Amino acid sequence: MNITIKCFASLSRFTPPDAEAYPVEAGLTVAGLIDLLGIPEEDIKLVFVNGSHVERSVSLAEGDRVGLFPAVGGG
Amino acid sequence: MDGSDNSDNSERSDCSDCSDCSDCSGRGTAADLEAAIRRAAQENVESSTARLFLPLAAVERLCGEHCLSPADVETASLALGIAPERYLRNFETYTLAEQVRFLRAHVALVGLGGLGGYVLELLCRAGVGNIRGADGDEFAPSNLNRQLYGTLRSLGGFKAAAAAARVAQINPATEFMPVAAYLNGQEMEQFCAGAQVCVDALGGLRDRPALARAAAAADIPLVTAAVAGQGGYVATVLPGQASPADFFGTDPASLAAAAENTMGTPAPAVATAAAILSAEVLAIVCGRGPQLAGSMLLFDLGQMSFEKVRL
Repeated sequence: MNITIKCFASLSRFTPPDAEAYPVEAGLTVAGLIDLLGIPEEDIKLVFVNGSHVERSVSLAEGDRVGLFPAVGGG
Repeated sequence: MDGSDNSDNSERSDCSDCSDCSDCSGRGTAADLEAAIRRAAQENVESSTARLFLPLAAVERLCGEHCLSPADVETASLALGIAPERYLRNFETYTLAEQVRFLRAHVALVGLGGLGGYVLELLCRAGVGNIRGADGDEFAPSNLNRQLYGTLRSLGGFKAAAAAARVAQINPATEFMPVAAYLNGQEMEQFCAGAQVCVDALGGLRDRPALARAAAAADIPLVTAAVAGQGGYVATVLPGQASPADFFGTDPASLAAAAENTMGTPAPAVATAAAILSAEVLAIVCGRGPQLAGSMLLFDLGQMSFEKVRL
């Protein structure tokens, strides 16, 4: 199945080239995805799936839109 | 001025801030003011909407003649359905009644640097009547890439002082109370007391959770934003709700890992976040209510993407 991935701010360098249709195994969790992308777990502070904040134990489904957000505090 | 007795006029503000005025007994009644506003607005018709308006110079003249503040004169004009000229281009977006609510609004703004400078500018131009702004910082050369009130002349000076000078140049209907100090948690609570909304325009992660707690203690919404590189977020936190900064941490490792430490804070992202912040503050104080309560608007100007998510 395919999902889409959006890595914000300092995480953008982890964006895979096929982020718009990123192939993953069915049942993959958010934590598993973070591992696959090679992002240090502590660098991600908020995860959104289809526009809602979720825990990392959530399993992903076909077509899910995943947003990964780091700590951002500049002003 | 006609010298008539105005002692029964309870609608008038007390004249306490014009100590050099020796003729307050002659300032006239509310009816005199209304008549004067109608006379001044006569034949001033905005071409595209056919609306009467009160010319800018007339506001200043009527303040002097009636011993009133600009906000008083503008409020009286709006009550008659006559737009003060300086707000003409806000209509139809904000109604006359909403414009009155701007003039009566009280906003607490913490941070007068990148985000705060633009927010203050936009709220002041919109006609928000009462803004208290706090920042203990002084302008440094590294602020010049984005901070609206950071100029070659203001370098080294308090941001709060430059902000006050700017407000006075733009809109005398905005009463701005500058506080050139960093606020601790208790001071943040006092700072929020009596305001309708608190704006988190802080830089860095350290003080944001404390400000969210202070706004909750004052039982007012917090509108918050932060940027790093081309991206950022704006969110509204109602009392009792989680704030984005609650997830970011304030321990030394978290502070050091904040994205802006490597990506910086370029002007387009800062100004974008500040503009969204300002629109949300105006939605709140004009009575429409927050549009981002419990949500974050995430933006990325590198890809020109905007997404509203639930926190």
